[in-house]
Amino acid sequence: MITVTNFSKQYKGFTAVKDLSFSVEPGQILGLLGPNGAGKTTTLRALCGIIPPSSGRLVIAGHDIAEAPIAAKQNLGYIPDDPRLFDTMTVWEHLAFTAAAYKVTGFEERAEALLASFELTHKRDTLVHNLSRGMRQKVAIACAFLHDPKVILFDEPLTGLDPQGIRGIKQAIRERAQAGSAIIISSHLLSLFEDLCTHIMVLNLGECRLFGTMDNVASEFGQTEDSSALEEAYFTITQNKETGQA
Amino acid sequence: MDQALFRLLMLRLRGGFRQRLIQLTSLRGLLFFLAFVGIIWLLVATNSSSSDMVSMSDAALNRQALSAQISTFMPISMLAMSLLTVALTTGPTFHFSPAEINFLFTGPFRRRDLIIYKFGAYVAGATLSSALIAVFAQGQTGSALSAFFASLLTITFVQLNSAVIVMTSQTLEGSRLARIRYPVIALLITAAAASIVYAWMAPDRSLFDLLSAFRYSWTGTIILIPYIVFAELFVSSSLSQLAFWGCIALLINTALLRAAIVLDARTTDRALSDNARESSRWERVKQGGSYWATQRAEVRSFRFSPAWGGLGPIAWRQALNVARNSLKVVAVFTGIAACAGPLIAAVGIPLSDPRVLTVIYTFFGFILPRTLVCDFRGDLSRMEIYKTLPIAPWRICAGQLVVQVLVTYVVVLSLIVSITVFEKGFVTSGALVFAAFALPLTVLIYTIENTIHLLFPKKLVPMGRADFEFLGRSLVEFIAKTIVILVAVAASAAVGFATFTTFRTSLVLPALASWITLALIVLLTLVLMQNAFRRFAVAETVD
Repeated sequence: MITVTNFSKQYKGFTAVKDLSFSVEPGQILGLLGPNGAGKTTTLRALCGIIPPSSGRLVIAGHDIAEAPIAAKQNLGYIPDDPRLFDTMTVWEHLAFTAAAYKVTGFEERAEALLASFELTHKRDTLVHNLSRGMRQKVAIACAFLHDPKVILFDEPLTGLDPQGIRGIKQAIRERAQAGSAIIISSHLLSLFEDLCTHIMVLNLGECRLFGTMDNVASEFGQTEDSSALEEAYFTITQNKETGQA
Repeated sequence: MDQALFRLLMLRLRGGFRQRLIQLTSLRGLLFFLAFVGIIWLLVATNSSSSDMVSMSDAALNRQALSAQISTFMPISMLAMSLLTVALTTGPTFHFSPAEINFLFTGPFRRRDLIIYKFGAYVAGATLSSALIAVFAQGQTGSALSAFFASLLTITFVQLNSAVIVMTSQTLEGSRLARIRYPVIALLITAAAASIVYAWMAPDRSLFDLLSAFRYSWTGTIILIPYIVFAELFVSSSLSQLAFWGCIALLINTALLRAAIVLDARTTDRALSDNARESSRWERVKQGGSYWATQRAEVRSFRFSPAWGGLGPIAWRQALNVARNSLKVVAVFTGIAACAGPLIAAVGIPLSDPRVLTVIYTFFGFILPRTLVCDFRGDLSRMEIYKTLPIAPWRICAGQLVVQVLVTYVVVLSLIVSITVFEKGFVTSGALVFAAFALPLTVLIYTIENTIHLLFPKKLVPMGRADFEFLGRSLVEFIAKTIVILVAVAASAAVGFATFTTFRTSLVLPALASWITLALIVLLTLVLMQNAFRRFAVAETVD
């Protein structure tokens, strides 16, 4: 569903991502992990067509994002870390706009269901600039889910959410994966990956340091009394590299 | 002023100065600053060389005539500005930012100290504006120094006068006197409209004659007394006169400041809520929103968005933006355009006069695009959304332009209708030709605006009064836009002329050829805009 082959991205001489290759199949949830500046957001933004790759191929549901961007984006839902909505539009109008943009016919029932699942029904006619950050995040997610995308990319999905909201989003992500969507989540929250992800990729300084299933990571790094296997893997990989460089 | 507040003021001024210097260290900042200074220098040099070309006696006569005009019309203009302030004011009279509220309102300061601090900050800003005005006004006042002081005292007066008028009306809110606010405004508007109509109907009296008669009448002199002082400041011909009127102006300003402090004590609660509203407005403006956005939290949602092959949702989003953000602005601009016809007729200047054409072009080419923003320029922080949509770039670009162009075209049409009705000798067929050519020209203006914005994205509001990079950039953009428009119009006119000389038919065919040429140029710029959108790089966060 998502295939990345030899993807690299350079910004003015600086390499943000170097020669990255991986794939995510339907039903899988890939967790992108790495310190600040590792290349996580760059990868997500390139995958959803916001920034062009310097080299390599990024394929979404069989469509190359550079060669057939419209077809690729039709199958894509992206939730950025800071959801910037249209401040003069209500919550419902965001859904109506998304439905028209993605050509979703008879969207109303589905939109009502999404509003209900994110506890936004009573905010349907509220202008979004009056919503809290968490609420805006929920609106962005509802919009991304409306056209039932085959690929969903989350950049820090839990920022600004209350515990109830976090539980709701986690449940929604699980349901999407069970329904056959391929999902990538970028976050710094290791517990989120442990709860949700089937696969893990650790990026550091733009390069892939680890890619495998959660089970592989657990068996390779093991769990100690103080930390989980994922935490162990993360610190081993990122600190070893930094020490090595120093 | 409280010492700590004075120190804060100095630190903030120093910080502002440092920020400008930092702007100058970048190549772009330096270039735009130089462009700004260069254009100002050019204007000043042109002004002085044109006055050098006329003889000494002519120059003296010119100056005398200008002085008479300032004496007559400046007090009336200032009164009109004060009345407009009362009618249109939406924010607090002394605005405190959230940081100032957090630090200063909780600090050991008296309210009057805070007002004086805020006034001090305003005077600091006005000093800079006055320095700029002095460059142009020195020819009138005799020296740059006298022009500077006259400008500074006048600008300060305008701010204090508005503040006191608004605070007085806020203090009276809820009382019986407040009820007469709108009837009085309605009466004044009716009187103004009646004067314009009278001037238009009377063949031997223009609007200026009526205003002049009002200014020198007993009633006019009494009403305009405080404003006359500031007009006299500008036309003082000797140092003693300047000192005399300067002292009176200073006394008026001091009295107004005192009145503002007294009135502020009665309006503190209102001022606090106004401050909160003003701050949220500016936060929205910084993120590309509109200052005039609706204050309501809930509105009735429109259930569906049109698709129109991807063009619909984008245009629909911008239509909602105008309906909820800028309806008042559209109404004001349409009103201004509708008043243009009677005004031009009342003043007695022909439409073909270069001054009238310049004002019309500046209105549609600079003022309106800066104030009414419902396209890519207001969506800088939302470009990610557009980039991820499964819609072809040209459709997104066209969708962004639809509402902006239609709204502007409504304003253009109200101008054309108003001129057709009021301008003698302006025939309907001419109006139709103007209306036909105005559409591609409007599209051209906004396609260029958006293309420049996508190629060189910028903030919509300056960082304070002395943001020379912003000012320089605005001027450079305006000049670039004007050049493209002139080239397009020249090419279109050339094709029309060539058609006319070739076929020697009626004017219909040349006009059609001309229109088609203009439309093709517009399509070409739309392609450029689409490419600019394609290559637009959303902030490249490296994470």
